[in-house]
Amino acid sequence: MKGKQEIHEFVQSLLTGNGDNGSLADDDSLLISGRLQSVDAVEIVVFLEENFGIDFAQIGFDRDQIDSIDAIYALVEAATNRN
Amino acid sequence: MLATFGLGLCYFVPNPFIAMFFTSILAFMTFMPEYRHFILAVTPIAIVILQSFKEPLLLGLNLAVMALGIVLYWCTRRWPESRFGQRPVAFLLTGFTALIVFACAATPRSLSYSILWDLVGFMTSYIWFIAYALIDRSSKPARDLTLELATFHPLWGSSTVPFPKGAAYLRRIEAQDPERLAIVQLKGLKLLAWAILLAVFQNLWYGFFHGYLRIPMPDQALAMSVRGTPVAWHLRWECQILAFFELILGFSVMGHRFISFCRMAGFNALRSTYRPLSATTIIEFFNRFYYYFKELLVDFFFYPTFLRYWKGHRRLRTVFATFAAVLVGDSFFHLTRDWQFIQRDGLWHAIMGYQASFVYNAALATGLSVSQLRKRGHRPTGFFRGRLLPTFGVCLFYTLVIVFGSEGRQFSVVQTLKYLASLFFIRW
Repeated sequence: MKGKQEIHEFVQSLLTGNGDNGSLADDDSLLISGRLQSVDAVEIVVFLEENFGIDFAQIGFDRDQIDSIDAIYALVEAATNRN
Repeated sequence: MLATFGLGLCYFVPNPFIAMFFTSILAFMTFMPEYRHFILAVTPIAIVILQSFKEPLLLGLNLAVMALGIVLYWCTRRWPESRFGQRPVAFLLTGFTALIVFACAATPRSLSYSILWDLVGFMTSYIWFIAYALIDRSSKPARDLTLELATFHPLWGSSTVPFPKGAAYLRRIEAQDPERLAIVQLKGLKLLAWAILLAVFQNLWYGFFHGYLRIPMPDQALAMSVRGTPVAWHLRWECQILAFFELILGFSVMGHRFISFCRMAGFNALRSTYRPLSATTIIEFFNRFYYYFKELLVDFFFYPTFLRYWKGHRRLRTVFATFAAVLVGDSFFHLTRDWQFIQRDGLWHAIMGYQASFVYNAALATGLSVSQLRKRGHRPTGFFRGRLLPTFGVCLFYTLVIVFGSEGRQFSVVQTLKYLASLFFIRW
């Protein structure tokens, strides 16, 4: 679960940076709810590329994949299993 | 609640019977949510057929474009690993460009000329809706295609920008139970009330500033400068500042109207314009000002570029993707949206007529790039340095940049630059 904790902290830092200090559950919607914007989605993409070696150009990109901490973690797990 | 919404709708729909018709449709969807997708798909098609059944050629072309969208969507699902399946939007936009080139090459006043340009017109209305259906391919498979069909011609209305995006997005924001539906509809009703208030304010605004005070519109002020009889310096500034606020008002009223209807239909869509004047950065304003257009540029131009190119250079890839979205994407969108200019003047002259808008897009892309790069750095705090000054800077940037955004396409870059310089007492 170390990865999940890292993801949680990163997403929390993005929210805080946007002035959103509300609670964050692992299944909370981030992008579709409007809590994070497309610029933040880019930050998440770069974070996943740099920390987990995910290449979205290969696996395809859909905002659903990064819309919650659970979804991001599932993506990381799937990528780890593939490798 | 539905009756109140119907009454409110009368403000925007001139015929009360049409407002009543839409209210009844909303009532059907509210009390029979299992038929919501079906009603959303069938009603707009029925309206299209009723509106144009006397012109079978136009009706046929309209339905053919819708059918093309469904076929392309099916192809991406059927052959996801093919070249088309991998880059469907690139294929779609290339095909659309080829259609415009063919139309330009057709002999004027021939049957093929008229068919090709009608086809271009219909494709322009549907292209971004179809594009959303194609990128939805990576979402979870839908049980049926009715919602895809519904998004090609949304019942709640739309510009050429899809409000609110495609079917996959609608599935995610759909109210799943009566309680959620009631909440979403209440939000829809409130948004319509807000739209009406803004529309009333907009009318008063135009009446006061342009009717009573006779402050010219930006295009008029620019035209007078070009003719060598410029209006007074303070009037030039006033009309630019007014134009900035009028742009916000116009987009707010339009977006609120569509989204309020969409919410009444049971979809909890985000507003298209949300407190733009609270933005403290250029990128934040762009996001808050016309959300669904920004999303279009991001989905079809920014992400594909950002995910493929310059991966090892973070700043460069952000700037490159931003220019791809704003300079290429925005220009392509507006050039093709205003296809009548291409038909009238030819492709080359239409592109040349767009030169001032290219500068607008380049300036906007530069501003957005800088804003994104600075977002990562330290931001000042406090009301004056952290809020007031940045907001003023953002408003000033957009007030100046929209000088180049004339919709009429009648001014060259040099004429527009001279006008902009004259705002700062610079003459050449």
